[in-house]
Amino acid sequence: MPSLRKGWNIQTRVIGALMIRELTTRFGRENIGFLWVMVEPLLFAVLVGLLWRAMKGPLEYGVDIIAFVVTGYIPLVFFRSSVSRAVSSFTANGSLMYHRQIKVLDLILVRFLIELIGHMMAYLVIALALGAFGLFPRPHDLGFLLLGWAYYGLFTFAITLVIAPLSEMSDVLEKVIPVTTYLMVPFSGAFYLVSALYPDAAAVVLYSPPVHGMEMMRYGVFGPSIDPRYDYLYPLQFSLPCITLGLLLCRLVRRRLVVE
Amino acid sequence: MIICENIRKSYRAGHGRREVLKGINLTVAKGERVALLGRNGAGKSTLIKQIGGVELPDSGRIVRGMSTSWPIGFNGGFQGSLTGYDNARFIARIYGRSYADMREFVEDFTELGGSLKMPVKTYSSGMRARLAFALSLAIEFDCYLIDEVILVGDQNFQRKCHAELFEKRADRAMIIASHDMHTIRDTCNRGVIIHDGVATVHSDVVEAIAVYESL
Repeated sequence: MPSLRKGWNIQTRVIGALMIRELTTRFGRENIGFLWVMVEPLLFAVLVGLLWRAMKGPLEYGVDIIAFVVTGYIPLVFFRSSVSRAVSSFTANGSLMYHRQIKVLDLILVRFLIELIGHMMAYLVIALALGAFGLFPRPHDLGFLLLGWAYYGLFTFAITLVIAPLSEMSDVLEKVIPVTTYLMVPFSGAFYLVSALYPDAAAVVLYSPPVHGMEMMRYGVFGPSIDPRYDYLYPLQFSLPCITLGLLLCRLVRRRLVVE
Repeated sequence: MIICENIRKSYRAGHGRREVLKGINLTVAKGERVALLGRNGAGKSTLIKQIGGVELPDSGRIVRGMSTSWPIGFNGGFQGSLTGYDNARFIARIYGRSYADMREFVEDFTELGGSLKMPVKTYSSGMRARLAFALSLAIEFDCYLIDEVILVGDQNFQRKCHAELFEKRADRAMIIASHDMHTIRDTCNRGVIIHDGVATVHSDVVEAIAVYESL
């Protein structure tokens, strides 16, 4: 199938070029360049971790408190910054529509990938740094940690895919969206273990797809002692229809997009 | 061959919509040079954007049987916050061309020298026109869409454009929106007048100019 391969080649070429372009426009080439993408989540997670350590002592739910905070906080910051980068990403990149091989979906995908890679790098760097001081465990099951990231990432991508076109359709939404990401704080699973909540509360938060991903990640890091609660199917039942809706909205908005 | 069938395009205007193109029909064959004539705001740039695929028409169909450039103008096609070199590198990457060749061509054609290391937003319109032309000529297309930029720039640039576009690439199709009747008379073989949202095709460009001037 030569045409399929040709399409794939164009696609990878475009994504690669867009990523480099996005990184140079956002971070420039001076000093540490694109490594800046890690700095914000890194600082945030470490400072909040230290604060919890000072407030509550060395352990939380039987595991190291700083490791617990970091494993929750970085994915949460990843979600928040992915959503805020998705807002108005079409108008901001209107000039790219001059090149027909670039599709609006590429713009969303590139911004998402940069956030994903940046935050996963931050996660890795913190884990290694804390691990060197014995403050971060050797992961119980690396595969589960990655699976958790995959579920969490898929949910985040689904949301950005809906947010990006919606923010173009209405000015009010564009203003409201960044604020509403704070709603995710209780529903991201970042600051608790589902098994430690009251049963009623646990039932409620399990309706939130990212909680499942978060529990998988924590299980991958800390092992069975945290008694993880997750479902393989439910997060997909949310994310996949959400992606479909996002694709439809993107198509609709592209038709109406006015490019200078 | 490029075929436009019944292209309609409207934009939001206050609470309603204003229809700019009201059913445009146009066919451009290989090697043809078509001039788009019309008053300011008649819809020349809008039509070029639809043909280039920058915007999508409300209804109608565009068949592109040959490779078509992006609309070459003062903006679009490049990123203001990036330098001339970075823009060249980006274009080379997405069109799968070698950056070394691209760089050489751009340096040679634009003669911008050290300015290529500056962000494009600091360029004058003449400099932008040079860069825009260089980038699109470095990628070979069957059909070039040219939106008003041809007259900008000094004598030397116009001479270069003429040589690269109308002599070296004499076999290519072009769609040119311009108000410079002199260039149009010399270079185009057909004229299309856009007026009141519809296109009238004249196979004789001199006749087209006469009609346009009486509008």
